[in-house]
Amino acid sequence: MSTKWVYFFGKGRTEGDGKNKNLLGGKGAGLAEMTSIGIPVPPGFTITTEACVQYYKDNKSYPVGLWDQVIAALTELETAMGKKFGDVNNPLLVSVRSGARVSMPGMMDTVLNLGLTDESVKGLEKSSGNARFAYDSYRRFIQMFSDVVLGIGHHQFEHILKDMKNARGVKEDTELNADDLKGLVIKYKALVVEEIGKEFPQDPKEQLRYAIDAVFDSWNNQRAKTYRKINKMSDDWGTAVNVQSMVFGNMGDDCGTGVAFTRNPSTGDKEFFGEYLVNAQGEDVVAGIRTPEPIAKLKTAMPEVFAQLEEVYKKLENHYKDVQDIEFTIEKGTLYMLQTRTGKRTARAAVKIAFDMVAEGLIDKKTAVLRVAPEQVDQLLHPMIDTSVKYDVIAKGLPASPGAAVGKVVFTAEEAESWAAQGEKVILVRAETSPEDIGGMHAAQGILTATGGMTSHAAVVARGMGKCCVAGCGAVRINDVQKFFTAGAPPLKRVTS
Amino acid sequence: MRANADTPHDSRVARDFGAEGIGLCRTEHMFFDGDRIDAVREMILADNEEGRRKALAKVKPYQKEDFLGLFTAMEGLPVTIRLLDPPLHEFIPHTDEEIERVSKASGISADHLKAKATELFEFNPMLGHRGCRLGLTFPEIYEMQVYAIFEAACELVKQGKVVKPEVMIPLVGSYKELEILKDMTNEVAAEVIAKYGVKLDYLVGTMIELPRAALTANEIAEHAQFFSFGTNDLTQTTLGVSRDDAGKFLPIYVEKGIYKEDPFVSIDVSGVGQLVEMGVSKGRSIRADLKTGICGEHGGDPESIAFCQKAGLNYVSCSPFRVPVARLAAAHAALKQ
Repeated sequence: MSTKWVYFFGKGRTEGDGKNKNLLGGKGAGLAEMTSIGIPVPPGFTITTEACVQYYKDNKSYPVGLWDQVIAALTELETAMGKKFGDVNNPLLVSVRSGARVSMPGMMDTVLNLGLTDESVKGLEKSSGNARFAYDSYRRFIQMFSDVVLGIGHHQFEHILKDMKNARGVKEDTELNADDLKGLVIKYKALVVEEIGKEFPQDPKEQLRYAIDAVFDSWNNQRAKTYRKINKMSDDWGTAVNVQSMVFGNMGDDCGTGVAFTRNPSTGDKEFFGEYLVNAQGEDVVAGIRTPEPIAKLKTAMPEVFAQLEEVYKKLENHYKDVQDIEFTIEKGTLYMLQTRTGKRTARAAVKIAFDMVAEGLIDKKTAVLRVAPEQVDQLLHPMIDTSVKYDVIAKGLPASPGAAVGKVVFTAEEAESWAAQGEKVILVRAETSPEDIGGMHAAQGILTATGGMTSHAAVVARGMGKCCVAGCGAVRINDVQKFFTAGAPPLKRVTS
Repeated sequence: MRANADTPHDSRVARDFGAEGIGLCRTEHMFFDGDRIDAVREMILADNEEGRRKALAKVKPYQKEDFLGLFTAMEGLPVTIRLLDPPLHEFIPHTDEEIERVSKASGISADHLKAKATELFEFNPMLGHRGCRLGLTFPEIYEMQVYAIFEAACELVKQGKVVKPEVMIPLVGSYKELEILKDMTNEVAAEVIAKYGVKLDYLVGTMIELPRAALTANEIAEHAQFFSFGTNDLTQTTLGVSRDDAGKFLPIYVEKGIYKEDPFVSIDVSGVGQLVEMGVSKGRSIRADLKTGICGEHGGDPESIAFCQKAGLNYVSCSPFRVPVARLAAAHAALKQ
């Protein structure tokens, strides 16, 4: 028997185990689980992480059976949706998204509106009765597919879009009409031919195959690799691929898309927290072109949808017994859930949520203890830089001891002690500290050293003192005779009075 | 859950954060403070035992004072005190400028200081004349420290306080080193306890920080009531990597995946960890109630703490401000086991 690489979900039927994040990826498991507990999820299928791992083992070729299973699942999806891939009357469109076992936000690739061609765009126009929407979807698809799959930079399309807006004397994308967008499609396709010497692919299945390749390949793009390294994730896990029928948040003012947390991820307060955009597709929220509305506004704008969303988020939180970070789309007044995952939160929120959930009887005390990561405790014990303020970074070093500190620069332990004795806040800047500097280190608000590592004297002692220390800051050049240091920028001098 | 702390202030911070004892008090930090460094230098510069004993007599009241503060801050809880560990040249000046300054302040001639610095020079201080090797070559140093510990402890017991001293001998590689120093400690302790006429329970144990100590842990356990794995040095000596010189290659090693992580930050489970496990099982085969802990930097690292739980250690010890992190990490490790 050949390996099962593809798992279908939709219309109350799920092949995959919604608990198996290792096989289905976090997103795929969430979609399967939501489907199985009766939450509205657009049908689709998940290609397993194992398929991705095998793809890499086989030198980037598909394992036996994978493509056949994809085609079979696609046929099932067509039946479930009552639409056909590439159809000239009522075409099925899909999104193709990555989903590793642990969420890697923004690190890998996504393609939306896949299945649009010169023919099927006419079908979309017919089925939606909205030419503007159909061609807007097509030009978005060309732009995204070209960026992700064909390697043609996003900005090149943005240029064309900007020229079009200038020519029409409008500011917003939404002010372009159907004919403008048809014109854009022609210009976009011309750019593709110019860049790759081939026509934009017109076979939806070929598009799908390219997109799956691109998601597999994005597992090993540089930013994904770096992200995994920072977060101590294995390079061997691979990513799943989720192919899901499209729902549209951009078909009019009874449509929209949003992101929300079941509780406030910053304070931990028990309040539904999030944002949404009317008449928009997912990437509009992320791109930051338009300012989203607070989720509370949805209550007055679309009361029935909001009531449904409230029911869904409560059901999800009760089911997972933890804060969920959810994505939803509203298509013509109908709510669809696109994602649910454990919500990332600040240390403060983690502690509050754990306590509250015990009080609510949702989790037991042992589970509550496991809900706060040991590393998060650091956040609660040390002063932090206000992340809402922008600072100029003059140099970077090793994070030897956590915290934040403000003070005047001094270059010797004696200075640190005598200045501190006069009530000054100081930061001790040394090439490296030695045991004789202990007093000065104690007197200082923070310590900066030019050499030395995470286990250097300065680092070990500063951690012992619970004091902020940046060690091994190579860019720092100290002139302790003339009492200044440089770090690329203009010299920072000791204040001499 | 214990803390590494050398002063009453640090001990109180640790205790407030929930530490249940001191896992490592480094006595050398006490040698640097204020006036006592002068007496310490006098001891180092002395040419014979008599001169050293004279200088040590001046250091002892300071040490006793330190221990009184520490025991008081940690009343009712165990306090592990490591006898002097670093090589003596760490206490004397090296650069011309420093020598000049110390010479002026202390009245010792600059030439004398320079000559001593040259005499004590070591090519490889980490593997040099340090730890119990000092205690064996200059017994009067450890003797002074042990007197100070027990005099302080007995004084407090007399006042009705509960004190739990644990004397720790560093850098042991052979049970014979420990045997000699343990006997000395027990003799001094018996003498002081008798003098004060009190009842005092205490432990004598050792650091396990050399591969040979882990390999012969059964022999060592005959003489040790506890093991504290000093995983900073155990990592250096097992990997043959000098921590202070590792900056040039270790980041590249980690980048190339030779080590999954900096082994000085998170314990090298398959290598150093194996020695820890071996130390625990060999030690307990001789002494079933052998208390075991860890006092390296790893004691505050959540992943290493999970390993310690698995290896069956009784406690982890880390710097006071890591205590809350380590407590939670230890709770996670216990709940996940």
